[in-house]
Amino acid sequence: MTRKRLAGLAFLGIPTVYLLAFFVLPLLSMAVLSLWRTENYHIIREASLGNFATLLTEPAYRTFLMRSVVMALSVSALCIAISWPVAYAIMLYGGRYKLMFSLALAVPFLTGEVLRVIALQGLLGPMGIINATLIRMGAAPLRFLMYSNVASAVGLVYLYLPISITVIYLSLSNSDARLVDAAKIFGASPVQAFFQVTWPLNLFGTMIAAVLCFIPCLSTTLVPRFLGGPDGTLYGMALSQQFGESGTWALGAAMGVVLFAVSIAATALAFRLDLRRTGYSGLGRS
Amino acid sequence: MTRDRTAFPTPPSRPTRRRALKLMAGGTAMALAAPYCIRPAEAQENTLRALMWEGYALPEVIAAFEEAHGVRFTPTFFDGNSEAYNKLRVGGSKDFDLVQADGFWPGLYYREGLIRSFDFAALSSSGGYFPTFKPETFELLMDAESGDVFGAPFCWGSYGITYNADAVPAEKAGSLELMFDPDFAGRLSTSARFEENIAMAGILVAERMGTKDAPRPDGKSFNPYVLTDEELAGVEALLIEQKRLLLTRYQDNNTLRQLLAGQAVVAAPEFAQVYRLLRAEHDAGNLPTEFDHQLVPKEGGLGWVDTWLVTSGVEDGGRLELATAWIDMITSPEVMKKISLASGCSTTVDIRSLSTPEEQALFLMDRTAELEDMYMFDQPSSTEKWERVWSNMQAA
Repeated sequence: MTRKRLAGLAFLGIPTVYLLAFFVLPLLSMAVLSLWRTENYHIIREASLGNFATLLTEPAYRTFLMRSVVMALSVSALCIAISWPVAYAIMLYGGRYKLMFSLALAVPFLTGEVLRVIALQGLLGPMGIINATLIRMGAAPLRFLMYSNVASAVGLVYLYLPISITVIYLSLSNSDARLVDAAKIFGASPVQAFFQVTWPLNLFGTMIAAVLCFIPCLSTTLVPRFLGGPDGTLYGMALSQQFGESGTWALGAAMGVVLFAVSIAATALAFRLDLRRTGYSGLGRS
Repeated sequence: MTRDRTAFPTPPSRPTRRRALKLMAGGTAMALAAPYCIRPAEAQENTLRALMWEGYALPEVIAAFEEAHGVRFTPTFFDGNSEAYNKLRVGGSKDFDLVQADGFWPGLYYREGLIRSFDFAALSSSGGYFPTFKPETFELLMDAESGDVFGAPFCWGSYGITYNADAVPAEKAGSLELMFDPDFAGRLSTSARFEENIAMAGILVAERMGTKDAPRPDGKSFNPYVLTDEELAGVEALLIEQKRLLLTRYQDNNTLRQLLAGQAVVAAPEFAQVYRLLRAEHDAGNLPTEFDHQLVPKEGGLGWVDTWLVTSGVEDGGRLELATAWIDMITSPEVMKKISLASGCSTTVDIRSLSTPEEQALFLMDRTAELEDMYMFDQPSSTEKWERVWSNMQAA
């Protein structure tokens, strides 16, 4: 075997093995497990679609999924709405500190997700800074911030905002600013130049940012657990419960298969837009 | 005319469908073979592996044991009995030497061959237990047929109600109805543990339905972990009703402590650990609010005894000696006192000679007999049905 062939095998083989072992096989095992059932912590290896029937017919699981989809859509939209002005401001006014600003976005990742969520719990909870200050001032505490879906949304935006800002910033920094100048020279107002040049050229980056928020939000467990309150159970939290204390692994696996399908469907839907019209050049020449 | 191959540089090999398929086949074969080639780390003679509650892992105690025995103690923590059971069932009896469990769980582990018996009488600490926890009285750790003992009692407690004595009248605090009382809407909290929430509501539902003291379908006495379908339906309705009254379901003791101390919550069922912390703060003058703890509500309460068990993966010889040496050390009165103070639990070993009268009262050292009136933590009769009840409540 030639050296080049060996290098090729190593180059493609190692990632292939890695993906097969840690991505494809777990997915396959989850799919197989979803067809079995459990009885008091015992797996019964009898193939059926009973778990999927349960997920379809029992309103509770549909409610969890709908809550999660609505939450993920809201959080993604909020993240994009906040990220655009921040990323644009760094691009326009960052000057020689652009790199520093973009690196600063990674600072929250220096601590673990659990710590950040618990810190938020301390901030938003009934004894947190916001409500404690209001109570000391004689005002009523903000109940919607205490153990609610709003608190979960705040937590999720806080967690995924750095990712969406970074993606949009990278998209903006790689787009050709001369096109905006050209549009202005030919009479476009700054607003027209933004909506007719900058926005479409960065739509692909925006879609990536939205998807990178949407997918993890769909399966989030920690945030609703700590911030969501009695009415805040989301799909990922209910799913993790199946693999935790209730030991209903087969139902949990079926929930995982459904979550995977929904994530793929949502991503496919997001990328149905005509990328070439957005200025994306990654598809080669038509 | 033959073409001189050497006259042209070798074209770079292009990816083809056949090559891609070969790679994928090779990768699949390697991935499938990996579990058989890469064996899990075998038990090291110089390591003792425990599956345990995090609150009992005191660094100084672990360090002393490691130094005395020249081994490394590696704890893995779990959050509930069923989680530990799941871990043991999927091969954990080979991955751990020691495991902790409470209530009826040790018996279940023993029946399923996940743990083994050991010579409890040989432990130097075995003579120091309160009478309630000696093997002849505490039968949950003894095999009825052989008389073999398969566990050592460790800490005990109830799932009683800690309440703000300034806000909750004493007559209300004595009943489970307190946790479902609309007068305290938005100021109640329960733990996120689904088993105990359902079992506790089950006691109240059975009491209301009059089925608690009536003959049971299984011919046994009432056990809140073995509920009929009608009782479970009642539990679901009651938990949905309760959900509107809850501020939150607390995830950890520290959160509950803050909520109670800040008076955002006035009552919550818990293992009395938070109660002891609050009492200590109150007695030190740092907390004006007075708190009390209802050990067993009038309808009945849940109780637990944490134990230390040796897994069936431990064979006779050095490893068993090491495992029992850990149990012997951790159930010694001096270590139990440290653990009791650090984790806020009551001990099964009599440490009254090491404790002040206040500590004896706070840690219920003279009330161990009350445990006999409690329903022990158990495995739900049908986890599938219980899961559905919990999910329906969460989605409602």
